[in-house]
Amino acid sequence: MSEYADAAGLVERSAAALVNAIPDRPADEGFFGPGSVAWRISGDLSAPVAGLRALMIQALHPLAMAGVDQHSDWRADPVGRLAATSAYLANITFGERVAAQRAAARVRRIHERVTGVDPETGQPYAASDPALLLWVHAALVDSNIAARQMFGTPLQPGDADRYVEEMVVAAELVGVPAELVPDSQAALGKYLTWVQPQLACTPAARESMAYLLDPPGLDVEVAEIWQDIREATLISLPGWARAMYGYTVPELTAARREEIRQALGVLDAVFIGEPGVLEARQRITLRMRAAARA
Amino acid sequence: MRRRVGRLRFERGLAAAQLAVRGGLRYATSAPRLFVAAGENRERLRNDLAMQTADDVTATLGTMKGVMVKLGQMASYVDDGLAPSVRRTLSRLQDSVPPMSPELAAGVIEEELGQAPDDLFERWDPEPIAAASIGQVHRAITRDGRAVAVKVQYPRIAEMMAADLDNVSLLRRMLRVTAPSQDVDGLIAELRERVLEELDYRKEAVNQQLLHEYYSGHPTISVPAIVGELSGRRVVTSELATGARFADVLSWPQAERDLAGETLYRFVFRSLYEVHAFNGDPHPGNYLFHGGGKVTFLDFGMVKHFTDADLLPLMDMARTLCVDGSPAEFRASLEEAGFLVPGAPLSDDQIVDHLAVFYQLVRDSKTVTVTGDYASAVVRRFFDVRSPVAQYARIPRSYVVLQRINLGLFGLLGELRATANWRAIAEEIWPFMQAPPTTPMGSAELPWLASRPAVASTRA
Repeated sequence: MSEYADAAGLVERSAAALVNAIPDRPADEGFFGPGSVAWRISGDLSAPVAGLRALMIQALHPLAMAGVDQHSDWRADPVGRLAATSAYLANITFGERVAAQRAAARVRRIHERVTGVDPETGQPYAASDPALLLWVHAALVDSNIAARQMFGTPLQPGDADRYVEEMVVAAELVGVPAELVPDSQAALGKYLTWVQPQLACTPAARESMAYLLDPPGLDVEVAEIWQDIREATLISLPGWARAMYGYTVPELTAARREEIRQALGVLDAVFIGEPGVLEARQRITLRMRAAARA
Repeated sequence: MRRRVGRLRFERGLAAAQLAVRGGLRYATSAPRLFVAAGENRERLRNDLAMQTADDVTATLGTMKGVMVKLGQMASYVDDGLAPSVRRTLSRLQDSVPPMSPELAAGVIEEELGQAPDDLFERWDPEPIAAASIGQVHRAITRDGRAVAVKVQYPRIAEMMAADLDNVSLLRRMLRVTAPSQDVDGLIAELRERVLEELDYRKEAVNQQLLHEYYSGHPTISVPAIVGELSGRRVVTSELATGARFADVLSWPQAERDLAGETLYRFVFRSLYEVHAFNGDPHPGNYLFHGGGKVTFLDFGMVKHFTDADLLPLMDMARTLCVDGSPAEFRASLEEAGFLVPGAPLSDDQIVDHLAVFYQLVRDSKTVTVTGDYASAVVRRFFDVRSPVAQYARIPRSYVVLQRINLGLFGLLGELRATANWRAIAEEIWPFMQAPPTTPMGSAELPWLASRPAVASTRA
């Protein structure tokens, strides 16, 4: 069992991923655009919880987990792998259509080579399998909503449904036929329930997530607050997912929720401190305001 | 006429004094000209990114960010003690706060003073002229024709920051990273006290008016008067002043810079020893320079008041080291004040060697140029945890803010490369000396010194 590399530079590299994905003078509005819920909910302080929650849920699909574990450089460079995912998502959300399509094509090319047999279940897998891609997509969309509702700025009525619908195109870009993708919160919930019998907490999932929840080598200002991020992530998980990992969490009181939000605020401040992040966010805000005026 | 909510109620004496000093704004020109000049010196602000709703304020300054902005301002004088990444984070966070939209600012004024600014003032500029840490400044002309600066606080910020300051565990973790060599709990207590005080602009108004009255008639120091009837908890109105910024002064002739430095020095120590008050926010942005050493001092949101018992040990330390030249007595006064653990296994000379840098300007009567190197040396010594003395050195809580004398004033004097016989000036001010004037500015102070009211007990 190979060792994991440490997590130094996690914030720095996630920040660079965002900054590089926000075009200065875009030729078009991309697949979402400044009027979208996807833009409006980006940059929320709950984003790190959303990201970790998504990873924890995604890892519970043995075939998805096996693909990551056996093929990517996840153990050798976990921070690089996470930063690459952040960059991809930022490109899809904020990039011009060409940039988003190029990023998606690159991911699909990589997925073509990722095939194998899951050591736990003995089942063959292929990363390009729409069923696996849909699972990864659904976990992400659900997490972005859940983390925000629990720890971030709550969504406006109707925004969650709109967001799920907007995100269908993201699944399509990576290779899932649109008709398979849930387009409302209700449909998303139904899908997540339907998949549950296929899920399992494999040793690879348990190890990967134990690493993420307590990563060694974090930069000191982030390490001080990671316990709060970890707890927030575990609290935000659906009960069934938490049970599969065997984690228990204290009940979330209003006071504890506020403390976690404060810790997330500090993490967001550290993120804003990274070069270019503030300007990138300002570009997004200005484009959203211009669109709102038009 | 609608009821004015939260209007500042001055004590009778203060209100009477305010009427009396109205003629005393020495650098004032006519109100319309001042109004225009303040607009010309407008700070460049990101109005295009303005916060439009109270929710925008929450997103920008809630969840510890406002507290960190404040911490960043306090820390900007102690840069050398911070890790570069922390310094960058705090400074970027300050940059991340845009102004309020005109509508949002007007809403705060209406809530606080009962009327919209267009009804309250003869002229009102809806675009702010400057940022303030937890608010912004607008220029206006009152109905009775005075040009004024109106500081407006961000909505909800007081409640948010009070709640964030209650999370002591998180503050402790942040400060362990930010300022590892400091007494973290003392720093938190002081940060809480100062920030909570700053959030209530009525306190600032009282402090500013106190200093305005004290310096009324001073040849070079000016503090704008408060307009009490247009002030409240989240709005404070004072007479408008314009002048050159600190950065501009750096290109002035050295003689001008020396005079500016002398005024800064006199202001800090006269306020401390005579008004028993120290402005804990010696930010260069809070000074306006008029040439000839004339300086207008703004922003009294972080004034710390001292008791006689607080000040006596400080005077003893200066006297025993600089006047009496007695290391043993100096040590005793340090121990008395709690700066040094009693009975530490150190020689008196070691202690003097470690701490003398803080007194370097005033140990001998000679002309000294304050350099950036000196200011950095002070800061380095302050954060020097390797010295054998460091482990026995302490900063009692009531003096935490005072560190800014060393870390803030000396930094500014160093940038000015200000030259003076600081010891001679100190002797004029030290209550145990009160020596006759030694500089032209000191002589010019004489009529003011003779006319000013007694300030035996001026604590607000």
